[in-house]
Amino acid sequence: MIKLTDVRKSYAGKVVLDGIDLAVQAGEVVSILGGSGAGKSTIVNCINGLVAPDSGSVLLDEFSVANRKGLREIRKKCATVFQNFNLYPHLTNIENITLAPVRVLGVEPKNALADAHDLLHSVGLNEHADKYPAQLSGGQKQRIGICRALAMSPDYLLLDEITSSLDPEMTAEVVDVLKLLVDKGMTMILVTHELNVARSISSRIVFLEAGRILVDVHRDVFFSDAFLDENRRIKSFIASANGL
Amino acid sequence: MSFLSDIGPFIPALWDGFLTTAAVSAASILGSFVVGTALAVVATYGGRIAAMAATIYIEAFRNISFLVLIFFFYFGLPELGIFISAFWTGVLVLSLAVGAYVADAISAGLTNVQGGVKDAATAFGLTTAQRIRLLELPLALRVSLRPLGSLFVNLILTTSILSTITLNELTNAAKIIASTTFRPFEVYFLLLILYSILTYLCSVIVHRMHVRANRFLAT
Amino acid sequence: MPTQEGFNHFDLMLWLAGLGVTLSVFLISSVFGCLLGTLMAIGRYYQVAVIGPLLFAIGEVLRNSPVIVQLFLVYFGIPMFFGIRITQFDAAILVLTANTAAFMSVVGLSALESVDREQVLTARSFALDEMDILRRILAPQALIVALPLTIGVLVNQAQVTSLISVIGVADLTRVGHILNQKTFEPFIVWPVIGATYLVISLAISALGKHLQKRVKMSGPLANQKETFAFD
Ligand SMILES: Nc1ncnc2c1ncn2[C@@H]1O[C@H](COP(=O)(O)OP(=O)(O)OP(=O)(O)O)[C@@H](O)[C@H]1O
Ligand SMILES: [Mg+2]
Repeated sequence: MIKLTDVRKSYAGKVVLDGIDLAVQAGEVVSILGGSGAGKSTIVNCINGLVAPDSGSVLLDEFSVANRKGLREIRKKCATVFQNFNLYPHLTNIENITLAPVRVLGVEPKNALADAHDLLHSVGLNEHADKYPAQLSGGQKQRIGICRALAMSPDYLLLDEITSSLDPEMTAEVVDVLKLLVDKGMTMILVTHELNVARSISSRIVFLEAGRILVDVHRDVFFSDAFLDENRRIKSFIASANGL
Repeated sequence: MSFLSDIGPFIPALWDGFLTTAAVSAASILGSFVVGTALAVVATYGGRIAAMAATIYIEAFRNISFLVLIFFFYFGLPELGIFISAFWTGVLVLSLAVGAYVADAISAGLTNVQGGVKDAATAFGLTTAQRIRLLELPLALRVSLRPLGSLFVNLILTTSILSTITLNELTNAAKIIASTTFRPFEVYFLLLILYSILTYLCSVIVHRMHVRANRFLAT
Repeated sequence: MPTQEGFNHFDLMLWLAGLGVTLSVFLISSVFGCLLGTLMAIGRYYQVAVIGPLLFAIGEVLRNSPVIVQLFLVYFGIPMFFGIRITQFDAAILVLTANTAAFMSVVGLSALESVDREQVLTARSFALDEMDILRRILAPQALIVALPLTIGVLVNQAQVTSLISVIGVADLTRVGHILNQKTFEPFIVWPVIGATYLVISLAISALGKHLQKRVKMSGPLANQKETFAFD
């Protein structure tokens, strides 16, 4: 379980997270929606420990990001996929995938390589193992990014706008991979601008505005007409998102 | 006796040394600028052979120690019947040597501005010489100002080497003071700080000039 | 006319000896200077308190003052002030090492900072520890940026070694001076000495280019064109 309790964060007096309470149970897929600058990435980065909250607690299972040991355990159990891929450009694709398992989890390099090949195979990128990230298309890079995260055998996945810099075709490639993960019961927090993606894979939708959670409801509720008529702001958000 | 009272009587000598350093620096900055600009223009517009000659010159002067160059001219010129003072020998060699670096900086600027400006200027009916003098060179200088600045700061530091050919500049003055007062540590330490301040001030001036010269290019 | 002795085969030995001194001072100060400079850069990159800024301030003074004065300070000043003995050779090594370190710290820092900060954050999110991040993420990428800059520093430092002759180290330049005084043949002596420096510098550059090529061919930069094609 991932549990954020009254998490607050500001930068130079500007409030970015204004008391976030969020709990994600094992097996759930939660999408975080919201306008640009709402604080979506900040939430994700509070969970993986790249951002330290000013106050409040962030727990993952029994571990807390607030102490060194807890943070390390959390980072082992919970892997992040980034909007801009953030692949290590000097390493081959397969090295990108095996680095952390070997160095952090202590997996035998031989086994790590075999696992990585399996992962690459499952996303259809087997023949690109020994190329460098720069030689791949955006969609391929992001699938490598997902493999890199999965190679940690994580219990949780954090996906921060992982399809935003992709064209529709590449987005579809990546979403197919996500669907496979949903079927396997992976727990995920998914930040996205794409309503279709949120709708097709998540069980719950969290809508964020100015650092506060406005609504936190089941997917079917969120997209229902009755709900949208009640929540005009969300309706206009959806309208503008669809318009794009 | 305190360091200050020891060194007090020598302040005029130190000041004289400073003036010599300033004079030799100013003359050499001017000289190296002329040498460098000429080389850069030749290298950029002079055709293959001229460009190659310029490259050889630049590479040679960049890769031979300055002290060796200075000795070559200081001991060599009299053999040719040319007798000039240590001051002018210094100016000559600094101009030739630093000119090689200056040429590089300006060439880079020139290659940078050529393209569009060239066509536009030709359309206005300027001759090649006018185009270079009135447009490309000034634009290139603007771009090259910062690298030129650090070259000239370096030039000021290099003038200290002229103390080896008996020029009575700042370092040589300090040398005399150090051996008379038996306080080499304090004297050279002070000198180190003086040079640092001097070069720092120069960098500030260059920075200001750079900002001014490029104020129209601000994005 | 002064009495001229002309050249003999001892002069060749002298030249060789001077070359040996110059090369050993250069090599020793380069190795230690690069190591020290790299450490300084890392300290600065990780914003180590007190010692980072302090070393950097010292570096700033070293880069902004004449090496000749630094040599005088160490060789004449330190023994007098602290009452310790220091040989010419040691003074030379000390000053040149510190100088190389000062320049290399700037090179190292800008190379480290050239690596996208996101890379470090990403690696951290995977629980890699800082040592691993430095070794496996930062260093390999920074190296590619640092290599050409390092070659520039080293070529320059090779020239700077000639200054140690002013405190009496019998290096190549000092040998030139001795031969010049003995033979009164500046047009033979100094071109030969100058050519020696030229060859040393060109050798360093050539070695650097070779290394650079190898780094590029084996690494991701071999495919840099494709990077632009996709991004
Ligand atoms: N390191 C930082 N320093 C200062 N301000 C920051 C920093 N990181 C984020 N912010 C600010 O915090 C706010 C929320 O940022 P965040 O990245 O969480 O938004 P987001 O919801 O992910 O937006 P987007 O959809 O554009 O990715 C923004 O206004 C941003 O400018
Ligand atoms: Mg974001």
